[in-house]
Amino acid sequence: MAETGSAKAPTPGGFKRLIERYPFLPALGILIILLALNGIFSPNSLSYRSLTGLVSTYLALIMLAIAQTYVIFAGDIDLSAGAVVSLVNVVIIVLMEKMGGGGLAVFAALGVGVLAGLVCGLINGIVVAGLRLQAIVATFATSIFFTGFALWVMPVAGTPAPALFWRTYGSKLLGLPFVFYIVAALAILLFVISRTRLALQLLSVGDDAQAAYQTGLPVTPIRIKGYLLCGLFSALAAFCVTGDTASGDPLVGGKMTLFSVAAVVLGGSALAGGWGTVVGSLLGALTIGLINSLVFFIGTPSEWQNFVQGLAILVVLMAGILVGRRARA
Amino acid sequence: MTKVNETGAGKTGAAISEFLKRPLVIALVLIVVLLFAGNALSPGFASGQQILRLLIVAALLGIVAAGQNVVILGGREGIDLSVGGVVSLSAIVGGNVMNGADIGIVPAVLACLAVGGFFGLLNGLGVTLLRIPPLVMTLGMLGVLQGLLIVVRQGIPSGQAAPGLSSFVTQPFLFGLPGIIWLWVLIGVLMALMLTRTVFGHRIYAIGSNEHAAYMAGVPVKLMRVSVFVISGMFAAVAGLCLLGYSGSSFANVGEQYMLPSIIAVVFGGTSLAGGKGGYTGTMAGAVLLVILQSILTTVNIADSGRQMVFGATLLLLMLLYGRGRAMRA
Amino acid sequence: MAKLSLSGVSKAYGATLALRRGDLDIEAGEVHVLLGSNGSGKSTLCKIVAGSVRPDKGEVLIDGRPVTISGPQAARALGIGIFYQELSLSEHRSVAENICLADLPGKSGIFVDRAALEARASRYIALFAGVAGEGFSAEALVGNLRADQRQLVEIMKALSSEAPVIIFDEPTSALDRAQVDRFFEILRQLKTEGRGIIFISHRMDEITAIGDRATVIRDGETIRTLKLSETDPAEMIRLMVGENSDLPSAEHELPAAGPSAGAPLLSVRNLSGKGFRNVSFDVLPGEILGFGGLHGQGQSAVLRALFGASSISGGSLELSGRSLAVANPRSAIRSGLAYVSGDRGRDGVIQGRPIVENAAPIHYLKERLLLARPSALRDKVLPALGALHTKFASLAHPIGSLSGGNQQKIVIARWLIERPEVLLLDDPTKGIDLAAKADLFNLIRQLAAEGMAILLYSSEDAELLGNANRILVFNGGAVTRELTGADRTRYNLYQAAYEAA
Repeated sequence: MAETGSAKAPTPGGFKRLIERYPFLPALGILIILLALNGIFSPNSLSYRSLTGLVSTYLALIMLAIAQTYVIFAGDIDLSAGAVVSLVNVVIIVLMEKMGGGGLAVFAALGVGVLAGLVCGLINGIVVAGLRLQAIVATFATSIFFTGFALWVMPVAGTPAPALFWRTYGSKLLGLPFVFYIVAALAILLFVISRTRLALQLLSVGDDAQAAYQTGLPVTPIRIKGYLLCGLFSALAAFCVTGDTASGDPLVGGKMTLFSVAAVVLGGSALAGGWGTVVGSLLGALTIGLINSLVFFIGTPSEWQNFVQGLAILVVLMAGILVGRRARA
Repeated sequence: MTKVNETGAGKTGAAISEFLKRPLVIALVLIVVLLFAGNALSPGFASGQQILRLLIVAALLGIVAAGQNVVILGGREGIDLSVGGVVSLSAIVGGNVMNGADIGIVPAVLACLAVGGFFGLLNGLGVTLLRIPPLVMTLGMLGVLQGLLIVVRQGIPSGQAAPGLSSFVTQPFLFGLPGIIWLWVLIGVLMALMLTRTVFGHRIYAIGSNEHAAYMAGVPVKLMRVSVFVISGMFAAVAGLCLLGYSGSSFANVGEQYMLPSIIAVVFGGTSLAGGKGGYTGTMAGAVLLVILQSILTTVNIADSGRQMVFGATLLLLMLLYGRGRAMRA
Repeated sequence: MAKLSLSGVSKAYGATLALRRGDLDIEAGEVHVLLGSNGSGKSTLCKIVAGSVRPDKGEVLIDGRPVTISGPQAARALGIGIFYQELSLSEHRSVAENICLADLPGKSGIFVDRAALEARASRYIALFAGVAGEGFSAEALVGNLRADQRQLVEIMKALSSEAPVIIFDEPTSALDRAQVDRFFEILRQLKTEGRGIIFISHRMDEITAIGDRATVIRDGETIRTLKLSETDPAEMIRLMVGENSDLPSAEHELPAAGPSAGAPLLSVRNLSGKGFRNVSFDVLPGEILGFGGLHGQGQSAVLRALFGASSISGGSLELSGRSLAVANPRSAIRSGLAYVSGDRGRDGVIQGRPIVENAAPIHYLKERLLLARPSALRDKVLPALGALHTKFASLAHPIGSLSGGNQQKIVIARWLIERPEVLLLDDPTKGIDLAAKADLFNLIRQLAAEGMAILLYSSEDAELLGNANRILVFNGGAVTRELTGADRTRYNLYQAAYEAA
């Protein structure tokens, strides 16, 4: 029998219980605080229009954070996520340009984009899970490869996206911004995914891969599927980037990778795997967006902005981890 | 124990194959192969001058990799992604303290070590006291450093390397090799001694292999972990100072290109990213290997895109030789 | 025809031959016990059957047909279920999810059928209704459960495989009496259904209670298969150990030397902390003080708290008359305490490092060394290893090249280079073989004779009764009785252990 005070089972205390059921709560709390601060320093920033703009700009990061989450669930990591975004971005731009930029071109390009994301995910999955190379270094290597490919597709940034594409992205449908529909569809998609066997299996593998293997789970295929999901959502992120920037840039995804990892950690998911939610990562991505805009609104001189942003993100990361730790302890 | 009677030849064969599988040996063999390949692709590649240049760059990378190596050995997913930022910052700080004068060298060294040590300390404290995963902590620190670099660049000039420093790095010092190469050799020797013959080194391996058991055996785990990050920061700072000597004055985000290669060099040297296993001599060979590889790719006249693709693919290929994980089924 | 049959199975890990020749025949409707000391190969044999280890040679037959077990999935498909000694659970998943994990009930192929999952899990949870303890439910996260509850989940998981052959590798090590009884009822039921059960345990009373036949494995080879009704514990142990050596410290032999009179070396007053409260006792120099009682009643907790590995919420300590405050193991070691844990994988062995590095840490600390010179280390380490008759090829070899028992010896040796004043032993012989145990207890008695104060907690009564001068029986985190002199009998021990706290 375990060490107990007086043979009493350790039922988790109230706070811990809450975090166990809703691991994204600390992230939500931080987000609300940031919204409040943003509102204090610039009341305009909480307007409908501003919030729409925020979501529109950071939707890509949200998608990428979600992509990263599935891989991190299984205890892996994908440091090539940003490179995949760049790759898909230039691929669809070039395709749409070549095909004339009409509706058919857009749909065809989207299809190819998804395919490209899946292929990248498959490559990552085979390299990390199949060949058993260490994820951090291996996905760094694939990121170099994917960036190279993106540079081959479009050596110089600047090719514009067809008007149809970015106009739709920024448009309104039935009075609501297009991005809201994307968010709604995303929410439904995430809900559906969370109910699948794969989601549970990813978390099990991340919890203890050896135990999952001994239980009879097909660990390698599960991890590869995690990377496939990551590739898929990276492609979706690329679509959002394309809609937002309206152009192609083979290096656009550069900083996004690190932000996506930060968003996942901010969202309360365990970096080692086995624990967490995609909702948390979504909130984490929004948090990063809000930090960046807050730093801007409090009037930071432009050359200090990067520094303060970096510092703020570090501080919030610490806060998020501390709270999560107290809950998991 | 098996009672199989191995013949003399069989035993030697087994021993040779074990020897050949050692990461250090693989790295050395690959270095020779690549030098030949490079020379074939671009005659004069393996000339004395070229090799010297490669060695200098390898030394710069190797110094950063030394710190990275120690952090990774310490286990608990130890990694230092902020080294690039420290290298860049150290180059600027050093340049400004020295301001082109030889008497400024010693103060510059001290200032750089302080800067590197400071950020290493922050990393270490974040990892041990706040228990932030090293990946996240050093990543965040990198972001802070990059922001800081922007601020610093606006405010102060990029500084000037002292002639003494430049010649240390670029001019022959002993047996035709520049001082930096000897510095690297010295670091290599000191690292090997530290890791194998000191209590500190043994403790690094202990916390890397089984932190809890080390704790129960009285090893000051927290102190050790903070130390490895401080060491990494200081090595990165030294590399930054030498980089300043190499290029005369600092520019842009010059240190960024050292971060990923430092990790790869460590992996190629046979150190496991999980910690507790490996050593620095392999890393030195790994650094040389990596530099030659990058150089070959620059020499060969292909577009940037092709270069990156080949580099990425080659890295993956080399990783197959070195560090495949354990199979699930024993 | 045997349900499961292994012949000539062997497995080597590099230079170490874990299993030389394993033979086994399991009939339907029997509980077949595997007997053997640690390092004998029985765990390897089970892992080969379960598919997580690949055999080098040998044949496996199920219902007479030769089969190839290519992995755990294949083993499951062939009708083999297993309870893993180290457990194969996902900490952050619920009990129900863990039970059904291997074969999640699905809806339209990709979704999880929650209702079916809960229904299936509750069938197995119901089997242990009433004995699982507080806080056990289908939704509880496994990570929040106690050790015995986790073992129950692993049992339920093995049962849910509904496999015709199930292997149980040390399933009862953390369970209490009621849970073991219920488990044995279930096993008997499985027998009547014609299943074949492989059962591994170190506890003789359990083996004789539930086993039908037993196979003894020694040094990687199957020695003999016996019917339990036709043999006795003494013969089984003889077969396991191999020579006609007598048991170390026969049960009723009292320790030779007693403690010296005088001031206590260690004094504990009203000590409270996580898992224990108001514990008070003195230990004289040369005394071996035993901690008894059922597993997990505070014995380990007290020892760890004394060593600074967990916090103390109240009470005081005195060592040789001076007040003692231990904040962490480092300061405890400096003050003269030593602690040997039964969980060597977590607390003791520094995996992957050479033997000498595993033996040296305390020496480094106590002598405040900075340099580690091989020759000086060798001079210090060899005598300590010799005192325990440790067999090894070279000090530079990795510690993983030794068997579990020998690894534990190295861990113990590290404390002997500089003599501590107080030695805390927390189930030090868990998982090590009989010969190693004998060596260890001889050494412990010798150390006591030299004046060391020793606290000994052992989960095996025979060890306590045979070595301790006094025994403090723990129940519910407090000391309920002290047994001295002629009171040190198994009966009294059990009685005190079961007394209401």
